[in-house]
Amino acid sequence: MKSSRNIVKRPTMSHQGASGRMRYFLGRALANIRQNVFVNVVTVGTITLALLIVALFLLLVVNLENAAESWSERVQVTVYFDKELTAQEQTDLKNRIQALPGTVKVGWVGRDEALKRFKGRLKGQETLLEGVRPEILPTSFEIALKKSSRSSEAVEAYVARLKMVPGIGEIQYGEEWVRRFNTFLTFMRLVGALVGGFLLIAVVFIVSNTIRLTIYARRDELEVMSLVGATRLFIKMPFLIEGLVQGLAGGLLSLILIVLIYQLFLHNAGNFLTFNPVTSGLAFLPVEFMLGLVAVGALLGVTGSLTSLRRFMADS
Amino acid sequence: MIQFHSVSLAYQKDATALQNISCKVAKGEFVFLTGPSGAGKTTLLRLIYGALNPTRGQVLIDGQNISRFSRSQFPFLRRSIGVVFQDFKLLQNRTVFENVAITLEVLGWDRGDISKRVMYILRQMGMESKIHLIPQRLSGGEQQRVALARALVNSPKILLADEPTGNLDEANKLQILNIFKEANVKGTTVVVATHDRRLIEQAHYRTIRLQAGELAGDGEASDEVVA
Repeated sequence: MKSSRNIVKRPTMSHQGASGRMRYFLGRALANIRQNVFVNVVTVGTITLALLIVALFLLLVVNLENAAESWSERVQVTVYFDKELTAQEQTDLKNRIQALPGTVKVGWVGRDEALKRFKGRLKGQETLLEGVRPEILPTSFEIALKKSSRSSEAVEAYVARLKMVPGIGEIQYGEEWVRRFNTFLTFMRLVGALVGGFLLIAVVFIVSNTIRLTIYARRDELEVMSLVGATRLFIKMPFLIEGLVQGLAGGLLSLILIVLIYQLFLHNAGNFLTFNPVTSGLAFLPVEFMLGLVAVGALLGVTGSLTSLRRFMADS
Repeated sequence: MIQFHSVSLAYQKDATALQNISCKVAKGEFVFLTGPSGAGKTTLLRLIYGALNPTRGQVLIDGQNISRFSRSQFPFLRRSIGVVFQDFKLLQNRTVFENVAITLEVLGWDRGDISKRVMYILRQMGMESKIHLIPQRLSGGEQQRVALARALVNSPKILLADEPTGNLDEANKLQILNIFKEANVKGTTVVVATHDRRLIEQAHYRTIRLQAGELAGDGEASDEVVA
């Protein structure tokens, strides 16, 4: 027994270095996952499904935003002129308009072009156009606005500036449509934020409670570890790593599932769901959203474990 | 080694678990803690390993006043105290070997040294052939021996046992008692809380008797049986 006492009092502890400790924690966390397969499958499954719902919601948001953006491209200001402008006048005005803040593009629509468009709109009823000559149609500048200048107030401010330009003609920009469109956008964003907020709260609640139950089921482990003199960090670390692994796995799985769902079902949904009339077909999540999904999974896993541990370790 | 100075503990305002307890257990002593259920035996043990703090009075372990310990100091106190329970508190998803190794992993031992030391203690307990089994596959006596191996594997200064033989038959009780005696001979201070009179009679050690949270007697086993 004397020799074994010497072992007990041995001063050097070979894996007390930071990397050695980390290796131990990692090994312990992986062993815990192996020893509690069912619990881990349930947790990862819950995180996966919760994040999948979030991902589907994000997909909806991304596509609605895309649709809104393409619709907002219809917000344009048209300046009509009764007379044909000389080339010099055209260039001067175009340059002045182009110089206004908020202008993206200025396009000239001459009389011939105006007639062509008019004919295009009255296809099938060409008889109505008999006798119509280009001279009776007005010429115009069509001004596309920057994204930031498409709200009702911004358009009004832009038009006010445009009126100051000398030699400008009659300005039209469909006030009512712009106003309604912007109200609709604000409403949609509000609903989106509300639904998204509730969804996030639900996801955090479900995931943290699942993790809490799994840690509760293993509270004897916390008690035994504390009984043999483990520090709080020593007890927590394997659980936190386990939470991180579960969260990352859940995030990655939800990402794989959303890719599969998109490829199998939604990719071609544009054929019957024309959210976006310009591009047609549904867009997928941008890379930062995909990375965010995995990161949120990891964060949920770690914070869920941390809060549960804090609760149960306070009891022990 | 263990000193209680006017220790009182109340779980709630009017539910006093211990009332003005003062006693000492010397280094290397073997003490039985006895009394009926609810007398405060478990509470007294929990005070020793810092799972509870006294409402009044002081608890000194190896000269240190643990009533003034911060939360981060308790793990280091517990590394010199082994504890066993009536329900063994073994981790059911780990093998016998892993259950015992926990104590040394916490101390930061090397894997090779852990293996040698755990095998040594399990051989002493007669459990070397069952190291790969999970606790559920073992009998009550075997499970208690594993719990004892976990408590003794780092040769603690103090061994605390809370009704360690409560779930065991006579033969196993004797075997467990002998392990306590051996640990005591090797220098460990042993405190065994039990209301098992026969266990106390089999070994003539000092017996501290609690009654409704108060110290009701302190002396040799034979005196206590008479009392």
